[in-house]
Amino acid sequence: SFALLHVAVQGTVSLQCSNVRRGFHRAALLRLASDSKSDTSVPPPSYHEVHTAGESSSSSAQGESSEDAQPNTSFQDQSGEHGEDYETEEQLQARILTAALEFVPQHGWTVEAIAAAAETLGLSSASTGMFNNGAGDLVLHFVAQCNAQLAETLAEQNNQVQLGQAEAKKTAEFLKDAVETRLRMLIPYIDTWPQAMSILLLPHNIPDSLKHLSTMVDDIWYYAGDRSTDVNWYTRRAALTGIYNTTELVMVQDSSPDFEETWAFLDNRIKDVVNMANTAKQVQATGEAVVQGLMGAAITLKNLTGMNQRR
Amino acid sequence: MKDPPELQLVALRVYDASAYVTKLERNMAASARTLVFRALSDSTRNIHHVSRCRIKHLCCRAGITGCRGYSDSTEGKSTHFGFQTVPEEEKAEKVYKVFENVAKKYDVMNDAMSLGIHRLWKDTLLHTMNPQPGLRLLDTAGGTGDISFRFLEYTRSMYDRQQRLRAKSHQTPSWQDIADHYVSDKAGPPQSRAVVCDINKEMLKVGKQRAEKAGITTGLSWVVGDAEELPFDDDQFDIYTIAFGIRNVTHIEQALQEALRVLKPGGRFMCLEFSKVTNPLLTRLYDAYSFQMIPVVGEVIAGDWKSYQYLVESIRKFPDQETFKEMIEDAGFFCVQYFNLTGGIVAIHSGFKL
Repeated sequence: SFALLHVAVQGTVSLQCSNVRRGFHRAALLRLASDSKSDTSVPPPSYHEVHTAGESSSSSAQGESSEDAQPNTSFQDQSGEHGEDYETEEQLQARILTAALEFVPQHGWTVEAIAAAAETLGLSSASTGMFNNGAGDLVLHFVAQCNAQLAETLAEQNNQVQLGQAEAKKTAEFLKDAVETRLRMLIPYIDTWPQAMSILLLPHNIPDSLKHLSTMVDDIWYYAGDRSTDVNWYTRRAALTGIYNTTELVMVQDSSPDFEETWAFLDNRIKDVVNMANTAKQVQATGEAVVQGLMGAAITLKNLTGMNQRR
Repeated sequence: MKDPPELQLVALRVYDASAYVTKLERNMAASARTLVFRALSDSTRNIHHVSRCRIKHLCCRAGITGCRGYSDSTEGKSTHFGFQTVPEEEKAEKVYKVFENVAKKYDVMNDAMSLGIHRLWKDTLLHTMNPQPGLRLLDTAGGTGDISFRFLEYTRSMYDRQQRLRAKSHQTPSWQDIADHYVSDKAGPPQSRAVVCDINKEMLKVGKQRAEKAGITTGLSWVVGDAEELPFDDDQFDIYTIAFGIRNVTHIEQALQEALRVLKPGGRFMCLEFSKVTNPLLTRLYDAYSFQMIPVVGEVIAGDWKSYQYLVESIRKFPDQETFKEMIEDAGFFCVQYFNLTGGIVAIHSGFKL
């Protein structure tokens, strides 16, 4: 019976070790291509790690398995010392897509650009199969990258204003500068941008592209100082979305030097919106005044006819 | 000396197996007799092995991994051949004989059994693969070469399409472009190459005849090889496919590791295989069709009932989609995913060597 118990312990340990191995893979730790292929550089985990890892089957890249990622942090911590050599599947995909942006002027927003990028990174072009959405993945990655860059720039400017090193801009000017900054990021790819726009409008990409657009507009208004909690929140964002989309369309067919006409168009649209906002306020004030006037006239009439007297 | 009760139990179990076996042909009965003798002589080892399996079953969290432990054990070398249990050394031989018998009628039978749907499955495999021109494919258990032909066809049309798009966007080339085009020595279109590897010479022979008939001369090679021990160097191929072949392999993990070895970094492993049907209604229809119709059709068209009985049984013995996905991940592949086709009758598994 002791022999059986010994066998049982060995069984569980080897099983947990195989789970750990799977957990290691599913925690999506990869070696860079330059490293050796054997597993010997990874130190064998202690029993404590084995136990926490035994229950883990952390989320894989494509979101195929939806198990909890709770022990994932312990993995990252444990491999933190060796962390510089490892990257996750998502990081590798991001690297490939970033490299693919260089090939976009040549190949367009297509799978060929991703294939060319994979080859420069030393991977076979069969690895483009990792991207189930193909060109859509590339475009969405680019949009996300640009939005992140914009948010960083706006945060930096905000920081400077807080520290008193720069003056706060007026709302109209702030919006104009933010949209211009964001649209200038398209300039290197402006020739192929219509193709990218059409990819973003494909039905299966619309949810993602709308999400990116709305978060970008929200970021810009937040840093412009908008803290409204009424219907203004919606009207402001709708207005800016309209401005951004129309300016983008003007930009792709603009041939003036440094896109001057586009910035002039943007300026005019923002002035329109500001005018509209002022006009709306005036209309409201006028309306109130008119209503008060009418009320006054009605009471006067009643007084004159004698209907208002209390008998 | 009286036999210990465990030995009697083993003997009874083996007797049942042998009774089942005597229904089949004489050569199979002969192999079962050797199995009986081997079992009796290795009885003690079998007992320990059986008890360890049970303990693993209790300790581990799922029966699936327990069964995997069973087949992974180094003692008690037996595996499944359809619904029978045979020693591992014999499985490869039996599978070889099955495919040797069916080789000539293989394609006709595929069409008859799947009502032509197998062509759609293979086309879907290629579309999922979406290969760029100029890649090297290893089509393991490729037999009659269906996947390789489709691969060459796909890459050729993909290349033509790219050339057309390039020409369209280049309607008015500048004199510089024209001069460059003359100067640069392009070696022609990047040649995509496919290697068909199969353990069975008969299947390769049929495949070669098909290639000749279809007029495919370049870019195709035929190699005899075992999926568990491929006759290729490391880092050779961009894509490795195994279509309807991996369930016939005795040691699936070894085949997966060999796949990992011969793939280049960034290379893709793709497996097209019968899998578990998810819909219960479809399961009933599918089971009825498999066990009633297919061996009959096999007897009528190919004159071979037992091979097709083996085929439908081996489908049932193959692990389901999630288990196979875990096996692929264990072998060292990343970004493993699977796609169900026709309600789960067939599944495409894909993994990358990163």
